[in-house]
Amino acid sequence: MNQNFIRTTGRILILSMLSLGLPLQSVQAAIIGADKVTVSTQGQFDRERIRNIIEREDVRSALEKQGIDARTAHARVDALTDEEVQRVAGKLDQLPAGGDVLGVLLTVFVVLLVTDILGFTKVFPFTRSIQAR
Amino acid sequence: MNATKNARLQVGVLFLIILLCGCATPQTQKILQAIPENLPAQIELTDVPFYPQETYQCGPAALATALNFSGARITPSDLIAQVYLPAREGSLQVEMLAATRRNGFLAYEIAPKLEDLLVEVAAGTPVVVLQNLGLSWLPKWHYAVVVGYDLPRQEIILRSGLTQRQVLPFTTFEHTWARSAHWAMLVLPAGNVPRTATEAGYIKAALALEKNITSEEAIDVYQAALKKWPENLTAHIGLGNAFYAQNDKALAENIFRQATLKHPQSAIAFNNLAQTLFDDRRYVEANSAATQAVSLAQADGGEALSSAQQTLQQINKKMLRADLCQSTLSGTVSISRKGRIRANKRGQSISKSRGAPGKTLDNAGCAE
Repeated sequence: MNQNFIRTTGRILILSMLSLGLPLQSVQAAIIGADKVTVSTQGQFDRERIRNIIEREDVRSALEKQGIDARTAHARVDALTDEEVQRVAGKLDQLPAGGDVLGVLLTVFVVLLVTDILGFTKVFPFTRSIQAR
Repeated sequence: MNATKNARLQVGVLFLIILLCGCATPQTQKILQAIPENLPAQIELTDVPFYPQETYQCGPAALATALNFSGARITPSDLIAQVYLPAREGSLQVEMLAATRRNGFLAYEIAPKLEDLLVEVAAGTPVVVLQNLGLSWLPKWHYAVVVGYDLPRQEIILRSGLTQRQVLPFTTFEHTWARSAHWAMLVLPAGNVPRTATEAGYIKAALALEKNITSEEAIDVYQAALKKWPENLTAHIGLGNAFYAQNDKALAENIFRQATLKHPQSAIAFNNLAQTLFDDRRYVEANSAATQAVSLAQADGGEALSSAQQTLQQINKKMLRADLCQSTLSGTVSISRKGRIRANKRGQSISKSRGAPGKTLDNAGCAE
């Protein structure tokens, strides 16, 4: 409840700050960035930008939930491109996170041992696949 | 009785698993059936360093391996704050890419093909791969670095976890790699183009890297792109902008001008050329480039329109001021009804007579 309120307020704030930023930005020098070459239309660009700001906020809070402190989470989201943000937004906890998790139950242990030996998996460092010569 | 039932169940489950996990290794078969011509039979990049991973932290370890090989000086523990997710006990692919760029290196996702992976290794670049060492429904995600292979022995060589030199059969590697949809990335110094790079892929990687590096490095990145893809518009704009940021206006102008010639439909090329000319106080030329930019941007409804209009506006303002000054001297000024100056013709004729294009209006002593 409370968190929902904070999130909604945050989004409203972001949007209002964005709209403040629009006229301000147009005062700057008129060199156009190379990243704009592939952007098609103005309307599409604005929509993408707003969506991306919301998605970035989602990813940032998801990172914090994963145990990252606020400042680090901010820097890490900043380092992502718009497309990368889109790739992870809303599914951070389901995406593969390479990390070598060893928490295998005993029955599964046997299964994986056999698949290791058959060469379909490589869970255990001590197995040697029968496919290896 | 119960025990046999259990055993049967287990055998059944095992059978099912083998069926489910997909036993084919099409990429391996393809390579071994027809070995690509320019692929050496075996190679091992023995110079690639090894960082034995601490618990769960194969992401930082694999990334440190690739970064240090490319010339960075960084330890896995430096990278933990950039890629590691404590609650997931692992690292995400996008953060592996982002952290590479944060350290000033090009992050490139190669095509999901074993052949491309081997080509890159043969070209001397270690390849960071994401593997699922377990099964699709029992994932054990893991990052490792491919540093070599041996086609006759059908083996692939990796820096992996606590193993400095892990040798896997091609087929086992392909099984584990296929479960990550064959995900692999390269870490390269700015200015290097991957051997298997596509034009779109490299440009995307370059744009993402741009904000993390100096304009000097950006020059390398885009020059490398133009060497391989001389027509690319984004690379022209990026290179021109990098020169502009370095205050090297002559080179910037040159590149933007090339861009307008190769891409006469690009409002951005004309706009940036106009701005560069404007900075050089060549208002007449700037005006014509900006006018072109505005009309092109209007035609394609693109995002460049507001910037182009602004560029034109500031040029006009400057010219108007200079022109009014001039008119008090020469008594000739022509202003259209909308307040725009008919500066093109007049300005050019003036500049011709003085032989110093662009500077004329200032030479009248009225600028600023």
